[in-house]
Order: sequence, then C-alpha cells, then structure tokens
Amino acid sequence: MLRQSWFSVLVFFTLFLFSGCTNKPDDIQPFKPTPYLIEVPFPFPTSMNIPSDNPMTEEGVKLGRYLFYDGRLSGRTHPDSLMSCGTCHIQANSFEAGINHPVFQGGFVHGLSGEYLPHVMLPLVNLVWNFSGYGWNGFLFPDNTDQRFQNIEDFVRIGVTAENELMGDTNQVKNLFQGIKGYPELFGKAFGSEVVTFDHIEKAIAQFVRSLVSTDSRFDKYLRGELQLSPSELNGYVLFTTEDGADCFHCHGGSANPLFTTHLFYNNGKDTTYSDPFDRYSVTGLESDRGKYKAPTLRNIAMTAPYMHDGRYNSLDKVIDFYSSGVQLSPLIDPLMHHAVRGGVQLTMTEKADLKAFMLSLQDDDFLSNPNFSSPVSFPDEN
Amino acid sequence: MKTPKLLLIICIVLMLASCSKEPVKVEVKTGTVALKLLHTIDGNVFQKDVLLYQNRAGNQYQVSNIQWFLSDIELVNSDGIVVKIVKGDGVFYIDTDLHETCSVLLEDLPAGNYNAVKFTFGLNEEKNTSYRFVNPPESFMFWPDYLGGGYHYMKLNGKWMNTMGQLAPYNFHLGIGQNYYQKSSGLAHYFEFGSADSYAHCEGFNPPYTLPDVSSFVQNYFEVSQDLDFSIVSGSESSINVEMQIEKWFEGNPPYNHDDWGGSIMQQQQAQDIARINGQKVFRFSNENQ
Repeated sequence: MLRQSWFSVLVFFTLFLFSGCTNKPDDIQPFKPTPYLIEVPFPFPTSMNIPSDNPMTEEGVKLGRYLFYDGRLSGRTHPDSLMSCGTCHIQANSFEAGINHPVFQGGFVHGLSGEYLPHVMLPLVNLVWNFSGYGWNGFLFPDNTDQRFQNIEDFVRIGVTAENELMGDTNQVKNLFQGIKGYPELFGKAFGSEVVTFDHIEKAIAQFVRSLVSTDSRFDKYLRGELQLSPSELNGYVLFTTEDGADCFHCHGGSANPLFTTHLFYNNGKDTTYSDPFDRYSVTGLESDRGKYKAPTLRNIAMTAPYMHDGRYNSLDKVIDFYSSGVQLSPLIDPLMHHAVRGGVQLTMTEKADLKAFMLSLQDDDFLSNPNFSSPVSFPDEN
Repeated sequence: MKTPKLLLIICIVLMLASCSKEPVKVEVKTGTVALKLLHTIDGNVFQKDVLLYQNRAGNQYQVSNIQWFLSDIELVNSDGIVVKIVKGDGVFYIDTDLHETCSVLLEDLPAGNYNAVKFTFGLNEEKNTSYRFVNPPESFMFWPDYLGGGYHYMKLNGKWMNTMGQLAPYNFHLGIGQNYYQKSSGLAHYFEFGSADSYAHCEGFNPPYTLPDVSSFVQNYFEVSQDLDFSIVSGSESSINVEMQIEKWFEGNPPYNHDDWGGSIMQQQQAQDIARINGQKVFRFSNENQ
C-alpha cells in the first residue's frame, strides 16, 4: 500500500513538471502587431504594392510617421542640420515641395549639401498602387534584379544618404534613434525588437508613405453620386476623355482608372533633342526611351507646381497651353501624342478653362489636411 | 452456434453490397492547349518602332505596341460539341509589351479530335461593362463612358509617314462606336437627354448629368472562326498559334489609308466599321504539332 502511494506521488510530480514545461510564462507576450488596413473604395485597384517582407501595421505606420517628420533623420541634431522627408514633402502640396515652399524657391529642391535634385519632386500620393517604378524615370521597380533599387524602402535609404538630400550615414542615423527616448519602444511595437536598425527605419517610413491614400476628391464624390459638378467641370471631363477633345485619358486615366495616371513612361513632345542623363533611357538602355518620363498623377494637381520633370512650367495654365499648341513632333514622340502633327490638341479659351476646372475637381482637400498624415504634435522624446 | 454463423453471413453480404455501391469511376481524359499569340506583318513577327512596312494604301508605317482583348474562346470537336473556355471569366488581355500575356494556357480540356476554333475579338455587350477591371493593365484599357463605356477592344499604336513627310503618330483604337447628332448645339447639348443615355455600361454608378450629343452607340466587336484540325491528347499539351496579321487591318476595298483617317479613330465610326470588316481576315490559326 505504501509502495503504491509513493508511486502515485511520483506520477503526480512528473506530470506537474511536464505541465510546467509546456506552459509559457505569462509575462512574455508574442509579437503581434495590428494589421493596417487600407480602405479601397470602388473602383480603385485591389492589387497593392506592399512587399511581403514589410506588411503594413498600425504600429509600423505610426512609427513611420514620426520618422518621416523627425529632422534627426539626417543623423544630426544641430538645428542647422536637421532634415527629414517632411522638410520637402509638404502635405498641403500633396507631399511635394510646391512652388510656395518657404525654403526651396520655385519648388526646386536641394539637399543639405546645397546640391539640387536633377528633377523636381513627384507627389507622394497613392503610391501603394504603383507597380511600374518610382521616380520620374522609374529606376526603382519591384522586378529589378538589382535588389538595392526595388521599392519605397530603397527610396528612404537613398534619400537619407544622397548628397543632394539628407546627406546622412545609415549607422549614424540608427545609432541616434537608438538613443532617443521613446523610439526604441516604438520600434519594439512595430517590429518586435527595440534594437533600432536602418532596415526597420526604411520599412516604417515606407509603410507611412503607402498609407498616403487619396480617394476623396470632388470628382470621386461626383462618381459616388454625392455631389454634382459644374457645367464647366463636366465639359472639361468630356474634353479630358475624348480623342477629339484634349485626349488626356490614355496616359492620365479617368473614371475607370481613378489613379489619374498609368504610372507609365512617355515622351510627350516637350523637346526634340535629349540630354538629361536621368530619363527613362538611363534605366532601360533603349533608344526609344530617350526623353521619356513618368506620367504623374493629376490628383491635387493645382498644388504640385512646378510641372514636368524639370519644372519648366510654373502654372497649370502653361501646361494646358503646352498640350494645346506647344507639342513638338519628333521621331521619338509617343504614338499616343497623335495631335503633335498640328502642335497639340488646339483648345479654345473656353475649353482650356473647362479642362482646368475639371482637373481642379481632382483635388482631395481631406487628404491635404488629414491629421493622420500631418506632422505629429510632438515626437516620442517630447511626450 | 447458429448466431455467429449468421453474423458472419450478414457481414459478408454487407461488405459485398457496399463494394457494389461504390461509384463507378469514369476517367475523364483531359489535355492542355497552349495558345501562342503572334503579331506579324507580312508573315514575320513585327519589329517594334522600325519604319519597315508599307500597307495596301501605300503608307509607310511602323508599329510600337498592341494591347487587345480576346474572349469567349470555343473549341469545336469532331462530333460538333463545343467546348467553351471559362478560365478568367473567358477574357484574356494580350499585350505585345508584356511577353507573359502572349501565351494562354487552356487546361483540363476533353481529349479528342477537334476541327474548329472560335473567339470574340474584343468583348461582347454582356462582358464589356465599365469598371469590370479595377486592376492594371486591364483597367488602363477603359473606353470613356462618353464614347460608350467599357473597354478598348484593341489599342494598336504606331506611326506612319504622312503626306507632309512627317513620321506621324496613329492610334488604331477599336471599341464601341458612336453615332452623333449634328454638332451645332454647343455646350448646352451636354445636358440634354439623347437616345444614348443608357448607363447599363456603368452599372453601379450614378451617371453623370452630362448627356452627350451621341445619338446611339455601335457594338463593333466581332467573332473570329476558323477550321483547324487538331487533337487534344490526354496528359499532353498541344500548341495552337493565333496569328494577328497586322497588315490585314489596313486592307479591304478601298484599303485603309492613314492619310484619310488621321491619327485617331475612337470617334470615327466609319473607320471602326472598316476595321470590323477587315478584322474578319486578320487572324490565322495554325497548329505546330500536327
């Protein structure tokens, strides 16, 4: 009987020990960030360019927003050396510098070294739907065999290190943020480790940039039946989407391509000779790609002057005048520019006004002032 | 002793009965057909952006790219049975700049002998609804609602040497055509109702109040059908070439002349009509394996 009791006690302890091994301590929480969901209204694309190794999370976007606007992203703390993405990418200007930028006169941007960018900026809007390449020449694209130049994450690294941008050092930047109170905890929540890495800095900012979605312009509301456009705006829309009108839609979309760009590259007849070392040819090496640049989105177009890759036009009126009568025919002009044989689409003054009125209906004021996209009131170490 | 024997007999009977109730497996023999889309001029795959070609009207011309929709493929077997392709809802986007789109794999097709192939060039009325595709590249093919909605059947882009000696761009874009009222009413006309104010092509949307001066729309898609003897062998892949003979878009009587039609034809139903007629002779099927 005694032997049987001892045996029972042994079995009990053994089971107790094993059960202790299988149970995790209560104080270790598994890393499980909250997925960030982009609301996609019909008929916006359902396919999005979100790399599998950088899924969007609430915590990642939150951290990315801080980093996007924190001037210490340059890796320096002296007030004269502070520079961040938000220094040039102004929300009110659709995340471009804009022609009214207080520092960069005329919208022409230079870095901390004083060196100017080779092209004017492109807006940071709806980039989550771009698969064709980032930048005026599309040098960053997902299928690029050079893995250093594939996506927005790479743009962050380039922006931080380039002489004509933040002119920083990635090690210096990550070490700086490691020591700023509040940031390591945010990295921990976003990526599961409080050790700051530049890879995680790239990923967080890229997540924030992908969250910059504009789907609520007057034209979007019109398509949803929420408001009516003016006769001038509607006439402009007809001009925009007809070959016999202004013929904009093949490159710049319309109701069924609400991105208002194809994100593709065209020679639109601005020039007949080409000397820019950063045109599409510089990416593909194809002679037929000389003088080609991305068709930018027309969302918030009024805020994104100066226009064209080199900022040659400082007003929308001048752009419309160019397409109306300033297009130059050349052997490399895109076939879609069929009006080039007569210098452009030849709009009357009224048609120009109508076309402009329609393009202004693509402005999304909610996007331009959305507090979720704006500079935070305070940074983590200021809380 | 009797009970175990009885149980044994019942068990054996039940087992046999259950065996006989198993469904008879009918092995459906299937094979695969790979459609290879070729785009040729005068029998050779066209050379992009090279002024090498001359059409029946005498225009020197070149081709940059072609994007088009092929839909509702049907294979007719020797018993007259029609096999309809339902993959991708029966719609395939072809783009000469996207190599992967120029080969269409049709799987799980009944093995047997076939003697005809049919398809629709473009999209029929049922399929050609606006906002059908929200993702690129198909969404980039949209045909504006003002012009009838839906999608381009085809964008064929290139240049020709015009009478001024200029290398002039042309957009041979096919889709829904329009008949217009007399253009004399100006802007006010956009707010009148015409017989074309049917928004079936943009279902799900509140239509614009702008009503066009279009009196009616014209469906310009057409069916392509050709005899072709081929076999689908169980477990094997057959290959069929679908060749778009580009030069034939510009033949006919009288031949299509770029100098007459200019650089754009989306709003020229007469040109669309010529393309629809010429299109009947544009496609040629061949079978590589047999």
